[in-house]
Amino acid sequence: MNRLLRTSAIRLSLRYAMFYMLVAGAGLAILYWATSRYVDAQIEAGLEHHLKTLTKLFENKGAEGLRRALERRGIAAEPENHRFALYVDKSGKRLAGDLKAWPPRAKPNGRVSNVWIEDELIPFAMEDHDGYWPTIATTLPDGSRILVAQSVRQAEDLQEFILATLFATFTLVIGLTLALGWRMGRQLLTRIDQINATAGKILNGHLDQRIPVTGRGDEFDELAQKLNAMLDHINRLINGMRQVTDNVAHDLRRPLTRLRNRLDVTLLESRDAEDYRQALESTRGDIEEVLKTFNALLEIAQAESGHFRGEIEVLSLSELASQMGEMYVDLFDAEGQHLVLAIEPGICVRGNRQLLAQSISNLLENAHKYAGSKAQVTLSLQGDQAGAVLSVGDNGPGIPKDQQENVLRRYVRLDRARSTPGNGLGLSLVNAIAQLHHARLMIEDNAPGLAVSLHFDAVACPSEQTPA
Amino acid sequence: MHLLLIEDDQEAAAWLSKGLQSMGHVVDHAPDGEDGLHLALTGDYDVLIVDRMLPKRDGLSIIRMLRADGDLTPALVLSALGEVDDRVQGLRAGGDDYLVKPYAFEELLARLEVLTRRHKEQAPATQLKAADLVLDLTTHKVTRAGKTIRLQPKELQLLEYLMRHQDQIVTRNMLLEHVWDLHFDPQTNVVDTQISRLRGKIDKDFDKPLLHTIRGRGYRLSENE
Repeated sequence: MNRLLRTSAIRLSLRYAMFYMLVAGAGLAILYWATSRYVDAQIEAGLEHHLKTLTKLFENKGAEGLRRALERRGIAAEPENHRFALYVDKSGKRLAGDLKAWPPRAKPNGRVSNVWIEDELIPFAMEDHDGYWPTIATTLPDGSRILVAQSVRQAEDLQEFILATLFATFTLVIGLTLALGWRMGRQLLTRIDQINATAGKILNGHLDQRIPVTGRGDEFDELAQKLNAMLDHINRLINGMRQVTDNVAHDLRRPLTRLRNRLDVTLLESRDAEDYRQALESTRGDIEEVLKTFNALLEIAQAESGHFRGEIEVLSLSELASQMGEMYVDLFDAEGQHLVLAIEPGICVRGNRQLLAQSISNLLENAHKYAGSKAQVTLSLQGDQAGAVLSVGDNGPGIPKDQQENVLRRYVRLDRARSTPGNGLGLSLVNAIAQLHHARLMIEDNAPGLAVSLHFDAVACPSEQTPA
Repeated sequence: MHLLLIEDDQEAAAWLSKGLQSMGHVVDHAPDGEDGLHLALTGDYDVLIVDRMLPKRDGLSIIRMLRADGDLTPALVLSALGEVDDRVQGLRAGGDDYLVKPYAFEELLARLEVLTRRHKEQAPATQLKAADLVLDLTTHKVTRAGKTIRLQPKELQLLEYLMRHQDQIVTRNMLLEHVWDLHFDPQTNVVDTQISRLRGKIDKDFDKPLLHTIRGRGYRLSENE
């Protein structure tokens, strides 16, 4: 309850209610005033007309005619009109009319004024008894006086009605506004409570919890979707990290265990210097393997973090690819494989030379390792307006379609690769480097074989640079 | 050689000193940047081995101070696994070589050797010679026993580097860095294939091999085994 009152919706609706009250109040006050004025004017006109009629009657029919007309008309004639007449002679004695006596304050000046009419003057008990009645009176030529007064009951009724309307409207407006604010506040609180509850569950370790989206498309849905997307991303990162940790543990346990075993066996009995030397050399080899895995991991982490601080320049990818290709030709030849270079000259990209060189190196080494003996591997670079495509294709066994996406992940080594040396980090490093360079890494079927390509944005080569 | 090792990791420094001493070097050790700078300014050293991250004063600023003071003692910068950029910074600060931890002790030895030679060899030669193998630096012509050997540009660069560091062990990483300007470890023995190709051209048709592989360490171009 306290919380509800503190919600912005309630505060806002209270403020609106106050504002509505002011506006509605002012409007109704004006209406009340205008209506009163109108009613007063109506009464005044009615009274003046009535007096004129009676004066005319006197002029035409004389005192007796007026008296009889008044007697005849009586009160019963116009009870709903509540207009009362009185005709008195020079001395003030009642001759005819509805009132019992001349009101003391009434002046026969022919103008409407409010005169106090007491209950005793009124011929029968009326609900609206005494009060200031609009009254008009005049002195006739023979010295007698005539008076017409209007009971205020009608006007009061109207005023009461207007006041009642005013009050009812106020109540309605405030009630409605508060109800609306209450509802809005409740809705707001419900949605925020949902978000709070979800956040609480996530804090308690239920990372798969998501904020419900109502589908209304309002700002809360938008917020919920953004938060959910953020949570998904965080979840992916955490899972990735967890997987890496697991895999690091797994991958390092193997060489470390081997190392430990070798040391244990070596220390079991005393040996000659040559034995010790050999054991130490093998140990160094194992440690090197561990360090390489570590370095690869750190390089990936660095490239993936996106906070690369190294030098990014426009460089000739043609020259770099040629250099790398030429460097690796003999390695392929030594295994009976064949590396073909199909490099278009004069293609530049924006990037870091070391990282790009490492990508090419990793792609070539992958092909070398997995394409099989006698495989033909092509390192190609082609460019057009849209960009540059660097590709390493082979005619080896390739990768099954359903596993193509897997190979980008860290440590994924297809069954075939288990027997060859390597840490399963090569392609994921290439992928991380590609992302850092805003390039796309694509794995395609080379029919037969595998083609891995990097798609770069086109960059014009600096003019002083001679095409490779 | 008289070496100054500026390294705050006491254990690493102890092992390194021991290793270097066993190779016949004299090693002074400074555990922080201020000590290191003081020793470097007052002592006479052949090579400085400077860790980048040091208490009191970082390694690069030591080298910068020395260079500003006109001291050109070669400096080898050691750093925890560095970004490519770190290497550039290290060299820009006046470091002569840069080695990323973890490194092989052999690698450090080889590089120290190269640094001292480089420091001493000041006059630019026009010709490099190893036994009967001659590389003319102006015409880029290579001959052995008077016979012309045709080399491709990269092979020439590789040979030049090996000849400039005659009788020294050069590691695979040194070759990758100085010949191909590559600062990462390829997973394959791609350098070995380049060496065998060069060997095929300069040694194959001659009696005495000049280009030797030193197992587990690197290569050496030398008249002697």
